Amino acid sequence: MSKKVIIQRLATGVPGLDEILSGGLPEYSFNLIVGSPGCGKTTLAHQIMFSLATRERPAVFFTVLGEPPLKMLRYQQQFSFFDFNKFNDSIRFVNLSNDFATSNFDQVLARITQEVESSSPALVFVDSFRSVMLEALQQPNGTLSQQQFIQQLGMLMSCWQATTFLIGEYPSTRDLHPVFTVADGLLSLEQNVQRNSMVRKMQVLKMRGQATRPGMHTFRITSDGIEVFPAALIHGDKSNEPTTSGALRGKVRLTTGVPRLDEMLGGGLPSGYSLLVAGPSGSGKTILATAFLAEGVRRGEPGVIVAFEQTPSQSWIRTLDDMVCAGQIGLINTRSLDLSIDEIVLHLVELIHKMKATRVVIDSLSGFELAVAPTFREDFRESLFRMFAVLSGLGVTVLMTSELEDRYIDLRFSPYGSAFLTDAIIVQRYIEVESRLQRVMAVVKVRASVHSTEIRRFEITDDGIVIGDPVLDFEGILGGQPTRTKQSDKID
Amino acid sequence: MSKPINDLSLEAIQRALSHYAGDAPDARAFAEVTIGTWQQMAAQLMPVIGTGGVNVLFNRSLHLTCIAFPWLTMLGDKRVNTALLASVKARLAGRDTDEAIHASCTLLVTFIEQLKTLIGESLTERLLDPIWVPTSPVTKQENTS
Repeated sequence: MSKKVIIQRLATGVPGLDEILSGGLPEYSFNLIVGSPGCGKTTLAHQIMFSLATRERPAVFFTVLGEPPLKMLRYQQQFSFFDFNKFNDSIRFVNLSNDFATSNFDQVLARITQEVESSSPALVFVDSFRSVMLEALQQPNGTLSQQQFIQQLGMLMSCWQATTFLIGEYPSTRDLHPVFTVADGLLSLEQNVQRNSMVRKMQVLKMRGQATRPGMHTFRITSDGIEVFPAALIHGDKSNEPTTSGALRGKVRLTTGVPRLDEMLGGGLPSGYSLLVAGPSGSGKTILATAFLAEGVRRGEPGVIVAFEQTPSQSWIRTLDDMVCAGQIGLINTRSLDLSIDEIVLHLVELIHKMKATRVVIDSLSGFELAVAPTFREDFRESLFRMFAVLSGLGVTVLMTSELEDRYIDLRFSPYGSAFLTDAIIVQRYIEVESRLQRVMAVVKVRASVHSTEIRRFEITDDGIVIGDPVLDFEGILGGQPTRTKQSDKID
Repeated sequence: MSKPINDLSLEAIQRALSHYAGDAPDARAFAEVTIGTWQQMAAQLMPVIGTGGVNVLFNRSLHLTCIAFPWLTMLGDKRVNTALLASVKARLAGRDTDEAIHASCTLLVTFIEQLKTLIGESLTERLLDPIWVPTSPVTKQENTS
């Protein structure tokens, strides 16, 4: 039987944070929360404290020379997690400004020790750590050095079995700073402003004894506090599993709700596949997507749509609205311009689970790209890849639309280079015939399946998309200037 | 049972101070109990908002109270220390009882209102409720400490 110490993990109460910490904060750990001013350090600390503190697990929050406590309390109580009943009950605030202003580190440590001894807190917070660092410069010779202070503080807290958090800005020489060696955990927060968007990100730079989720994770601060959106995790190569691994992937075919399209797809869209519907503006991509969802509803297959663009007062929009109102499909409708893809993915996955959805529509990738904060646009393709991986892992069948400029000199299906990520592609185009625009549609690809290669005319009616016969009477239509075939000349 | 702070109107504070000051209190007794009560509030607040925060609030409250009671105006050093508190106490004790009661209560109410404005009623109640428990009045010993 193993006699190894078992490290308990404390659930932080911050949505998404435990996920990137791989289960929570190690009990009795000595942690740093660092970042630039205004990035949410104190909010994060308070949220963790109010969530974790109980009478059995009391907390002490030491305030040092940073933000005036009056202001801190004024603003922090705006968050829903701020529980007045815990104040001076399971949470005590201790202001050390005077101690730092009039004493050296030895005396400050003695004061902290006294407080810790008198109340035996299970959680200790020191805000702000930067103030401590700056104060170190003023310390007279012969007293406890900054390094000794931090080391002894870490030792004291561990021995008193307190999970500790130092909150502060990065010292400039962070890699050399002793506190980074002493700390068991290091949470780094940052905020980037680009154009009109602000994006906050969090990173676990260190967490002793547990594997954390690597990379930058976006987070948002709302009236409920911080919510972290863990970057979608892509599992590595696992023996012979396909890259996309829905349980029923490809085993059954889904009807699209558009007569004759299933036939063109070789018998419907294989379940678990991702289908890209690409075409120019107004070609009918969203109508096809709506038909796909409506057909799912008809067959008892709930769906979810992530809508980034909608034009009101069209009949198919009403169909969509009706389905949403009836609770038959879930809707994520956003026009926010500072989203991260991880945030959308998180909400999407939650909604998929809630609705038990098997069909997902993303309308459109073009709108999606606009909605994400500029800072994420550079990585849009990579983020899409992560999103596809997550959705495929869930086994849902995904239809996404992509707006394409009609070009007659090349054949492209996606401006994001995302076509190769999808399992199936339908392309819609306009052609000019006898001085009139007509719509045509073709199935370009259905992975591991035979499918029609015909280019068919289609119309949009009040009943939806009506696919006509193959265009046999013209050739060269993808070039935009079709000419009648010799055979049709003869027929005419 | 504690008395909710949000019930502390000028009259309510006066009732509480009268209770603390004992039978037939004079201006001197009211001055004593006023400064003692404030010191209790300060002791409760200092760990949370710091000595600086408490002192700034007291200075501002005193300044606002002086508008109605100009005789409380202190010249010179405005730092909140034993000397300043002793001066305020002496000024209160030197007035007739009614005026001393009125000024004392105004000073404490103003202080509490300032705090409420900054950190809200709920937190103010949470922090100061223990002071306003009628069953544990300010004792003579506490007043002189």
